[in-house]
Amino acid sequence: MSEPAVRVEGLLKVFDVPERDEGLKAATKSLVRRKTREVRAVDGISFEIAPGEIVGFLGPNGAGKTTTLKMLSGLLYVSGGEARVLGHVPSKRERDFLRRISLVMGNRNQLQWDLPALDSFELNRSIYQIPRPDFLSLRDELIELLEVGDLVRKPVRQLSLGERMKVEIVGSLLHHPQVLFLDEPTIGLDVTMQKRIRKFVAEYRQRHGATVMLTSHYMADVEALCERVIVIHHGKILFDGDLAALAGTVAAWKTIAVALENGAGDLSSYGEVIHRDGDLVTLRVAKAETARVTARLLAEQEVLDLNVEDPPIEDVIELVFAREAVE
Amino acid sequence: MTTLRVALLHLRIGVMNDLQYRVNFALQILQSMLALATGLVVFGLVYSHTTELNGWTQSELLAVLGVQIVMAGVIHAVIQPNMMRLTQDVQDGKLDHALTKPVDAQMLVSVREVQLWQAIDIVTGAAVIGVAFVRLGGDFGLFDTLAFAVALVLGAVLLYCFWLVLATGSFWVVQMWFLPELFEGIFQTGRWPVGIYPDWLRFGITFLVPIAFAITVPAEAVTSRLEWQTLAFAALFTVVAFVFSRWFWRFGLRRYSGASA
Amino acid sequence: MTVVPETSPLRRVGRLRSLADFYMTAMRTQMQAQFQYRAATYMYLLGMVAEPVIYLVVWTTIADQSGGAVGGLTAGEFAAYYIVWTLVRTMNIVFTPYGWEERIREGELTGQLLRPLHPIHYDVAGFAGGKIPWLLYYIPIAAVLTLVFDPTFDVRPTEVAVFTVAIWGAYLIRTFNQSALGLVTFWTTRVGALFSLYIVLELLLSGRLVPLTIMPEWAQTLAWLLPFRWTFYFPIEALVGDLSNQELLAGLAMQLFWIFVGIGIFSLVWRYAIRRYTAVGN
Repeated sequence: MSEPAVRVEGLLKVFDVPERDEGLKAATKSLVRRKTREVRAVDGISFEIAPGEIVGFLGPNGAGKTTTLKMLSGLLYVSGGEARVLGHVPSKRERDFLRRISLVMGNRNQLQWDLPALDSFELNRSIYQIPRPDFLSLRDELIELLEVGDLVRKPVRQLSLGERMKVEIVGSLLHHPQVLFLDEPTIGLDVTMQKRIRKFVAEYRQRHGATVMLTSHYMADVEALCERVIVIHHGKILFDGDLAALAGTVAAWKTIAVALENGAGDLSSYGEVIHRDGDLVTLRVAKAETARVTARLLAEQEVLDLNVEDPPIEDVIELVFAREAVE
Repeated sequence: MTTLRVALLHLRIGVMNDLQYRVNFALQILQSMLALATGLVVFGLVYSHTTELNGWTQSELLAVLGVQIVMAGVIHAVIQPNMMRLTQDVQDGKLDHALTKPVDAQMLVSVREVQLWQAIDIVTGAAVIGVAFVRLGGDFGLFDTLAFAVALVLGAVLLYCFWLVLATGSFWVVQMWFLPELFEGIFQTGRWPVGIYPDWLRFGITFLVPIAFAITVPAEAVTSRLEWQTLAFAALFTVVAFVFSRWFWRFGLRRYSGASA
Repeated sequence: MTVVPETSPLRRVGRLRSLADFYMTAMRTQMQAQFQYRAATYMYLLGMVAEPVIYLVVWTTIADQSGGAVGGLTAGEFAAYYIVWTLVRTMNIVFTPYGWEERIREGELTGQLLRPLHPIHYDVAGFAGGKIPWLLYYIPIAAVLTLVFDPTFDVRPTEVAVFTVAIWGAYLIRTFNQSALGLVTFWTTRVGALFSLYIVLELLLSGRLVPLTIMPEWAQTLAWLLPFRWTFYFPIEALVGDLSNQELLAGLAMQLFWIFVGIGIFSLVWRYAIRRYTAVGN
């Protein structure tokens, strides 16, 4: 079997975080002596990713996802354990390593702020030494795929958040990286844009083949793109396997939040009532039943407002915990 | 009095915040000393080649230096941080946070930032003034002390008004990042007797940028050169400046509020 | 469905050629970018010019009071010194430690570290590219200063040639010195003090405050041992002074020496800085 694209063993990352109580007296005290606290952002994780795989790294905020990606891209030193990407040790930051990877961080810009994106692309071309014909064809292809043709001549600072994300992605793929790290790429974007970017990542991978590691706290990101998902929480891996398996348990349902004229009645025929606050009721319904239940609710009850949502990531975590406990 | 309470609260939070950065204080003392040393070296050089510059002896010019340092401290500690934040907020479209509070907007944008450690310069400058005063063997009655204090306050208010006018300009001109450097450069003219400058520059630093009023007038008070007419004129000028700057601020604000739908 | 990934063969490119390509590209883009900020840059340059103009006025006043000259320099010569000063200053403004502090704080450095090119190249190339529009903006300022202060000038072609090289030497020395200082941000959040110390030394010993010939003897000797005189005094003197050809070439050699020292110190500090950065990141 060929060399894995990403190999991680017992990876550990520890931070020293300063602490301060509130109030003027404590503030003056901290002038003289500083208190710190040890935080284990990543607590001994191990996994392997084969070339061409697309893996979703799922977990709530502060779970250790971004920290892991930063270690794999060479931005953070490893506190313990081992990490290898394409055979390289990331923290050595070798040129050949950096030329083969790309890290895209949602909400963060790597393009020049006051230049048009096209200029930044040109700069990238010279930094990565991309042969000009390859550069031009890939650039134009990406621009077309993401539909940013009329945005690339405007200074990046004039673009909206979603537009900026799209040109960031173009810029990050121009050098045809073998491994693509995507850190919360859809954060802060509206639903249409999220869908657009997911579709793009899938299409890009189809055409160019790349190993993709995607972190998110949106289940939908992972569902749309990944065959394999790793669930991480408090720096530890809770689940590493087929998305289907996880989907079978957690992604199998939706929640319906409904505001009724009179919420006192018995609603158990529609689904599991997980929360009731006066006339505001939250129901848990099997995914396949959602449409039918919604229709029934609207027909049979006095509905003032209705919202269908994915179960929050915390529910996923809870369930994985529960599953592990049973097994 | 709510405005005063709000102002004091902001100051307290600012102080608490600043105290975290213990490095700042130690470093600022060092920086203040270095800047002072440089100023004194220049004086030393100048007065090694002459006994008086445009009629000002070394001890007298030392008083000017002291006042300039005190004013610099006031500007860097309170005026500049607030005004630069104002320009930044206008540029980023964040000014609305300040405008929706139930306190006078001008007051809020003028007191919410403080860089306490810069106030060390006020102490340094006061020390220099003290030394100059002793060396001049001056004789300070109650009236003189009062005149000096008034001159200082007027000077500080004038500088504030000037900065407010500049910062209000950001409602029209987006780019304002050059302000600190530009002001710093021009402010240095205050270290020297106003009389040495070419006429056009002298006019500029008296009436356009209130350096002569803010620095030379208090210095004249210390060196017993101050005439009551100058002080009265300075007071009048300050009132005019305050009224104008407030009007200009509200004018700019109306335009801003009208512009951002 | 398994996708067979393409292996991207990395092109073996000569280091020097790729660097040259980058410099050309970066200088060009930065040049274009700087043209966007015409008015603001003008204001900035005006503020910068205030410093030497004040010194000029002070020393001219003393010269007039003392019968025409001070420390062997006439008012006209002072004017020439400080006007050329402004040109040298325009050229030697570089990325400051405060800039590094902001770059690190805002996380911009993270993006740069992901790329296979040392961030210092962005600064050297970028600022160099920006100098060209700045020089264009500078010309009218120089014209006004010349009209107002009436300098006495006497230049030879060799002096002009050496000057053109020397201003870039000054640029590089200050770039590496200040970038090395900027890296100290990794250890303390406020590099202000260290930078202030640097600026004070520079003010006194570089010819930035006064022509070095006016400084006391011991200061002049000290100035020979430090890099500062090569960032202000030497380029200015090359143009307005009376240096022989040997002295001019020797000066350029000294600049080269200090550039290498600067690069050395910067590289050393960088290695430790990166180790520290990758411990905590941003």
